[in-house]
Amino acid sequence: MTYIINIFLGVLGIYFSIGLLFGLYFVIIGATKIDPLMQGTKKKVRFLLLPGVIATWPFLIVKLFKSKSI
Amino acid sequence: MGLDYQLVLWNKHKKTYDKIIVLSMLLYIVLFAVITIAFNSETSIETLVIRAFGSLAIIMLHIILAIGPLSRLNSNFLPILYNRRHLGVSMFIAALIHGGFSMFQFHALGDVNPVYSVFTSNMDYGSLTNFPFQVLGFLALLILFIMASTSHDFFLANLSAKVWKRLHMMVYFAYALIIAHVFLGAFQQETSPFTIGIMIIGFLVVASLHLITAFKERKTDRVKTEEKEGWLTVCNISEIQEDRAKIFTVDNERVAIFKYDGKLSAIHNVCKHQGGPLGEGKIIDGCVTCPWHGYQYLPSNGQSPPPFTEKVTTYELKLDEETVYINPKAFEEGTEVKPCKI
Repeated sequence: MTYIINIFLGVLGIYFSIGLLFGLYFVIIGATKIDPLMQGTKKKVRFLLLPGVIATWPFLIVKLFKSKSI
Repeated sequence: MGLDYQLVLWNKHKKTYDKIIVLSMLLYIVLFAVITIAFNSETSIETLVIRAFGSLAIIMLHIILAIGPLSRLNSNFLPILYNRRHLGVSMFIAALIHGGFSMFQFHALGDVNPVYSVFTSNMDYGSLTNFPFQVLGFLALLILFIMASTSHDFFLANLSAKVWKRLHMMVYFAYALIIAHVFLGAFQQETSPFTIGIMIIGFLVVASLHLITAFKERKTDRVKTEEKEGWLTVCNISEIQEDRAKIFTVDNERVAIFKYDGKLSAIHNVCKHQGGPLGEGKIIDGCVTCPWHGYQYLPSNGQSPPPFTEKVTTYELKLDEETVYINPKAFEEGTEVKPCKI
């Protein structure tokens, strides 16, 4: 059981660490490339989105790659 | 529906609802504290906070889960539905305070990582009565975090409505985890029939409302229809009220058929914003207006009026004497279809 817990928490830690790194790039630069409404969006709103980006980064990174404008 | 994203989409009504939410939460916490101290003055402040915010989060979750079916059964509940997002985020904050204090009190004061401690301090995973219930609470909190953190229009637009909806449907999994968390945890010590009874009644109310709504919608979807030269019979024109719609199912997709200004138009029933039922809305200022958040679409082409960009699919209708017919073939989103004159 300890082995499964270690793997689960390790994966969770890696997932959120990548999410944080990607999230910081995304809310500052990336989001504007996939959503035109982000151009006029204020900084405080961008950072409000950070937790959600950390949680859902795999979906957003796919969308960012598809936009071909990284 | 906007030209940029806002921190919070507030209007006068939403501010009122938010004030009610905050005041109700504060009132509950104060009442809980007063009653707990009156009956058990030895309760520590940490335990009080954990119990008060835990029970508050559960009550709020039951209300949130009941709002959806209630508003489908009775439109008087729709105004509460408009504010469900804020209620959800408030519930997450209550759950986070409960979880945060629990982790601090029971897992943060040793030399083991608190998260690791939640999973390993009790390894009796094979037991029912001594199951490590805090793990269930942690997993539920993780799901609630995903939901609360994506409760913004940006995520709805960029994760796609389908993905966003699926993420937010995880609330039912979180609910199951929370029920197990409470029954395997708090209710192992708390044996008051009153407390356990309230929890069971809450579950029965939520489950019953969902079942009643599901049966009602299944009845609507299963209406038998005749086909005549590729057109499906919908209803008699008199069955549709002015500026309102009749919802009709075509190829497992719900279509809203609106009657307005001596015309009929049909568009897909699902709003692009949060999947609201457009057919339960009405025509305001010439536009189909979603009953959930007021997103608008022109009935003849399914497009939001400029500068907004949302689009839904459209359908062709015809009227033969008093009978309304629909062509089951959907047009591309935003396609102009000449309204059917009455």
